[in-house]
Amino acid sequence: MMDISDLIKSISLFKPETTLIVTFMLAMILDMAFKKSKNIAGYIAIAGLVIAGIFLFQQTGVNYKAFANLLVIDSFGQFMKFIVLMSSLIIIVFSFFSNELHNAHTKLGEYYTLIIGMTFGMFLLVGSANLIMIYVAIETMSISSYVLAGYTREVKRASEASLKYVIFGAVSSGIMIYGISILFGLTGSLNLFEINQFLSVNNVATLPLLLSGLMILSGFGYKISAVPFHFWTPDVYEGAPVTITAYLSVASKAAGFAVLLRFFKTGLLDSVPGTSEAWQLLGNIDWHYVIAVLAVLTMTLGNLVAVWQTNMKRLLAYSSIAHAGYLLMAVSVMNDNGVSAVLIYFVFYMLMNLGAFFVVQLIANKLDSENIDEYNGLGYRSPVLAVCMTVFLISLAGLPPTSGFIGKLYVFSSVINSGYIWLAIIGVLNSVVSLYYYAKIIRNMYLRDVESAKTKLVFSPVTIAIVLMLAIPSLLFGVYFTPIVEWANYSMNIFVGN
Amino acid sequence: MISEFGIILLYFILGFVFVGIALVAAYFIRPSHPNAIKNSTYECGEIPIGEPWVRFNVRFYVIALIFLLFDVEVVFLLPWAIVFKGLGWFAFIEMIIFVVILLVGFAYVWGKGDLDWERPKPYIAKLSDLVIGKKKQ
Amino acid sequence: MEIGLTHYLVISAILFSLGLYGIITRKHAIMVLMGLELVLNAANINFIAFARYGGMNIEGHIAAIFVIILAAAEAAIALAIVLNIYQNFRHVNIDEVDDLKG
Repeated sequence: MMDISDLIKSISLFKPETTLIVTFMLAMILDMAFKKSKNIAGYIAIAGLVIAGIFLFQQTGVNYKAFANLLVIDSFGQFMKFIVLMSSLIIIVFSFFSNELHNAHTKLGEYYTLIIGMTFGMFLLVGSANLIMIYVAIETMSISSYVLAGYTREVKRASEASLKYVIFGAVSSGIMIYGISILFGLTGSLNLFEINQFLSVNNVATLPLLLSGLMILSGFGYKISAVPFHFWTPDVYEGAPVTITAYLSVASKAAGFAVLLRFFKTGLLDSVPGTSEAWQLLGNIDWHYVIAVLAVLTMTLGNLVAVWQTNMKRLLAYSSIAHAGYLLMAVSVMNDNGVSAVLIYFVFYMLMNLGAFFVVQLIANKLDSENIDEYNGLGYRSPVLAVCMTVFLISLAGLPPTSGFIGKLYVFSSVINSGYIWLAIIGVLNSVVSLYYYAKIIRNMYLRDVESAKTKLVFSPVTIAIVLMLAIPSLLFGVYFTPIVEWANYSMNIFVGN
Repeated sequence: MISEFGIILLYFILGFVFVGIALVAAYFIRPSHPNAIKNSTYECGEIPIGEPWVRFNVRFYVIALIFLLFDVEVVFLLPWAIVFKGLGWFAFIEMIIFVVILLVGFAYVWGKGDLDWERPKPYIAKLSDLVIGKKKQ
Repeated sequence: MEIGLTHYLVISAILFSLGLYGIITRKHAIMVLMGLELVLNAANINFIAFARYGGMNIEGHIAAIFVIILAAAEAAIALAIVLNIYQNFRHVNIDEVDDLKG
């Protein structure tokens, strides 16, 4: 039971989240108080995120079950929270330069406030070790993101995006809570640690366990947009403001993968083996196989459909589905090497995907279109931007010498080390397909429409600097990746008690 | 032997039977001389115009949504109130924090003007509007 | 016959199925949201029934309270979005809200 010393320690470890709540309320109130200033909530949000980051950094090396096992604070969670935090910061900076948002509203206070709310939900989700806590956290981030997807509410496609997002999201979380209720009936607890203990002592019927597990997976699968829970992804990504699309594709996926990994390792793990051996899972269900099938479906569908796309946001949406597939591949091996591969991949995925979306946003600011033909001759209209976009796309395709290659290398090696050769082969074939549509954009930029020599596009130095700040690490980590790998290896142990 | 739910079922059946008997008895006893005025809808003496299925103003929905949210949040107070004595000051402070967060939300709604009931402002024509050659403001 | 756990589970399974059926077949956005409420309440019945008959702890009741509150929050947001859809499209027919296609 909960005693007072546990509580005090828990509260002191809850500082990053508390900071976010305070930031949320401050941003809301000060935005109303200062009616003249347009971006004040944005500045407060940045300050709050930085402070939360400092508190988060102080938690290095802490492994603790806070609030009577409701939340787990461990280095795995810390890593994922840093990913979420960094992408929130970058997205807020992007939003300062978004014409789309600034044309739709005179004030963006609610927008920044909701981003903080979503960050808070993801922080909770990454750390939660209780099924109801997971549900509350998923709803916290979802409810903010439904509003954000339709934030430019006079734009028809944005309101359509938010309708589709809210309906698919609500249904999948409804199915998830039904699955949770069945699992509660089977094991008599909502706490992942207690569920684990119960399952290791008692035998439960396989069919209900499989059913409830699949229902819970539908909630997680929706967040990481895994096939067959991906239907919302292309439409929402196309309709939502670019900044929100970028945010959903990175941060909410990171939180989804974190909770997926934690659910399996904390709830269903039987014994703790060495790093390269697969986790022994409780119950008679081969979850490796279930996840592997999901991974194959996800990456194949994502890559094959992406080939036909003509809208950049839609293309990147399908590409992000494909990337979820690669990451699921690393999850399916269910060992600590797989976890480490997911962590490494996410750092690089964040850089390259946010970078690509920022370039799309800048082009849309100037040309008011996201069509792939607008990129014709970009190599001559804006050389710096085109070079950076090329870096991001090559990195997304996973070719050396970029960081995307290193990420893919670790994912594939973790799969091969566990003996799933067939899975790795399908993954490589998929990467080849993905090369086609990424290369198509690069071809458009450099080889199409060169003669007509349209007017040059001039971007402000600040935006160019931001693009470079994302592009240079994408290249640099492709050559010098040791620190990221070491950090990921340090963080790969999900705390399971004892 | 019937269970507790059986008793409730019995209660329901008795209720329906009782109402049914009352209605049937009234049908036989009462006089029946219908005419056009008697058959019209009773609207406190007014002559009814149009359909009863009208659209409600969207402002009702906004107020209802805001009410719903704050109303449901209060559910958390119920279990808290039951165990309040056993937990003491700590639970009290916790609940204060919860209520303060709710109040911030309320202040936000208020400050944004979502609680204001905007009456339509009819435009009353002024004499100067009727002067030919002058544009209406 | 005693009313036992099984009865409640059957009721909740029926509610869940009806809810899903409504979500899949209905075109009107509000109807879909009503189906969703059925699904959430099916989960609630499960929680309460397990907590009452399974000889389990208070967790089930607490879970039900959280589900009720999140359902209300979600419904509020969803209705606000549906109102916005009505302002843009002049109807709330989900099948016809399909500007985005690829």
